[in-house]
Amino acid sequence: METLGLLGGGFAAALTPENLLWALVGVVLGTAVGVLPGLGSAMAVALLLPVTFKLDPTGAFIMFTAVYYGGLFGDSTTSILMNTPGNSSAIATAIEGHKMALKGRASQALATSAIGAFIGAVVSTAVVAFFSNVIIDIALRFGPAEYFALAVFAFLATSAVVAQSMVRGLIALSIGLSLAMVGIDSQSGAARFTLGIPSLFEGVSIITVTVGLLALGEVLHVASRVHRGGSGTTELLRTTGTPWLSGRDLKRAVPAWIRGLGFGLPFGAVPAGGSEIPTFLAYGTERKLSQLRARRGKRPDEFGEGAIEGVAAPETAASATAGTAMGALLGLGLPTSATAAIMLAAFQQYGMQPGPLLFERNADLVWALLASLFIGSVMLLILNLPFAPLWAKLLLIPRRYLYAGITGFAVLGVYASSYSVIELWLLILLGLLGFMMRRYSIPVAPVLIAVILGPLAETELRRALAIGQGDVGALFSGPITIGIYTVILAAVALVAVARMRSARRSRAQAEAEAAEKTEVAG
Amino acid sequence: MSLSSTPAEPRGTDTGPRPARPARHWWRGRSEIFVGLLTIGIGLFLGEQTLTMHVPDNSASPGPQFFPSVVAVLMVVLGTALAVQVIRRPAPEPESGLADTETRAHDQAGAVGELVDGERPPAGAPATHSDWRTVGIVIGSVALFALLLQPVGWLLSGALLFFGVAWAFGDKRRPVFEAGVALVYSSVVQLAFVAGLGLKLPAGILGGVL
Repeated sequence: METLGLLGGGFAAALTPENLLWALVGVVLGTAVGVLPGLGSAMAVALLLPVTFKLDPTGAFIMFTAVYYGGLFGDSTTSILMNTPGNSSAIATAIEGHKMALKGRASQALATSAIGAFIGAVVSTAVVAFFSNVIIDIALRFGPAEYFALAVFAFLATSAVVAQSMVRGLIALSIGLSLAMVGIDSQSGAARFTLGIPSLFEGVSIITVTVGLLALGEVLHVASRVHRGGSGTTELLRTTGTPWLSGRDLKRAVPAWIRGLGFGLPFGAVPAGGSEIPTFLAYGTERKLSQLRARRGKRPDEFGEGAIEGVAAPETAASATAGTAMGALLGLGLPTSATAAIMLAAFQQYGMQPGPLLFERNADLVWALLASLFIGSVMLLILNLPFAPLWAKLLLIPRRYLYAGITGFAVLGVYASSYSVIELWLLILLGLLGFMMRRYSIPVAPVLIAVILGPLAETELRRALAIGQGDVGALFSGPITIGIYTVILAAVALVAVARMRSARRSRAQAEAEAAEKTEVAG
Repeated sequence: MSLSSTPAEPRGTDTGPRPARPARHWWRGRSEIFVGLLTIGIGLFLGEQTLTMHVPDNSASPGPQFFPSVVAVLMVVLGTALAVQVIRRPAPEPESGLADTETRAHDQAGAVGELVDGERPPAGAPATHSDWRTVGIVIGSVALFALLLQPVGWLLSGALLFFGVAWAFGDKRRPVFEAGVALVYSSVVQLAFVAGLGLKLPAGILGGVL
């Protein structure tokens, strides 16, 4: 009951014309960056952060979260219509979604994904709103050792477990940690890695890091390939007929939506670098279930020919991560995706520290934010359900203007946040770093998580060691820390086994192919 | 990301003319060694700076040098591991279409691609050499902007930046039209963010007019 009262107050704050406007701006921008391949909500929030610091924090966060949700709605449109995923979270949707579109069922595919994304967003936000007490109760039991374990979990999950190559992921992590260490050490006052440059005493600005890696790095990466051709423009499929789902479609989509929730909700709260993993897990499960059904003779396996479950489940899973990711961010101060990491930086810019105390000190903001997420989800459903084909027209914007505009925004934001030209030179260096990382497929998310959580991890580690008087065992005392470290070890072991198995399989395959070739040659 | 399959030339040959299709050089597909060396270099730099750091006397027992030394050692080890990995297994040639698609799929799916035995996601454009000329024009435009912003002001330097990047990305036929678009862009930004949101941007030489 208490929650309903608080949420009611939140709705009253979120329904003011000003906050409604920010939510609308956010969902429109979010959908746009979601639709455009290569751009994502992380880049959008990074670019918005410096130019909005004059806004009231509630309005700014309503806009940021609306961008986050919008990105997860918009990404499926081009997946379905052009087989070009707007974001990595829509790769799984593209597989069956584009097949549906090729069979003339584009409208149904778009509707399935929009409704799925809506269900994911609303249910996950409701879970966070109604279980906020539980999250806070857990968070209040966290001491320095627990927070350090959580940071280690976030570091290793994004770099070693999720990344394609463990070494590259860990390199990204250590680059982020080194960037985070530049500046005056807050505990001892020692100047670290500043090379005597006064503007580095306060550390490398998080805005410069995020804008450089996400925006300028992406622009340089696209520039390095734009004249090298090969990017055959794929045809935009037309949508025909009503976007309404028939009863038969609904009967198949509803269970898949619900199963998608099952993957998305837990994964949003785990720092696994975003929503890709649950979408692939949801996709894989639907495929296996379909094969099972076919074997029992119930319904032929439609996977590969446009199965509606293959669109419904991944979209719901992707969108459901957004809500629980906001829960982990607000309640624990734990960023579980790149966008959430930038929002954590935004909270710090406004002098707020997400965590259990945020619900006490800034209760107005938190509940207005949660209420506006419901409102934003409804706006997104309206924007995406009938108008998805219109959004796809965004791809007609000439690329040169798009990237020139992004570059202009990047330098504008970095300059406006510091009024210092030195930050612009740093921006160029970080942009080159981002370009190099994209070129050699080193993931960017671990850098962001490390830059933002690095100072916290170091502080809590030193605090925990100081409390335990130098005893390393102090880091592993208590059920919560032991639990977290056990999960880390289990996840690393699981991935190591899976990697070894796939390596063995591909080696066996290569040998078989080589044998075949020699046979043919002989 | 699709870049693990990009065989790139070693640094230093970036701008010079080179034969259209050189014979397979040892460096082809191994340019990532540079990343490993860079990582080792940063690690050594961190280590050197940590050792010579001036530590205030009052600091508690795990002091400001503790965390940096851990990261420094980690970076040297990781850089070496990456270099060894690249030497033993260079990136595949772009021509081998199949291998390329496979790497790309793995890149996108990450570890999940291995855990979930799903269908391969669609492949995009084939990977090629980096186009250093275009990258250079973009970086040059940003650098020029950094030099010009304070003396000349946002309106002109921002327009020049937009023009430079748009020029690098494409259409070189209508410079006057493109310059007009660039000026419209910087004026709209000036109106929206300086007049609307209250950011302070240098007015520069147009300060009297605005």
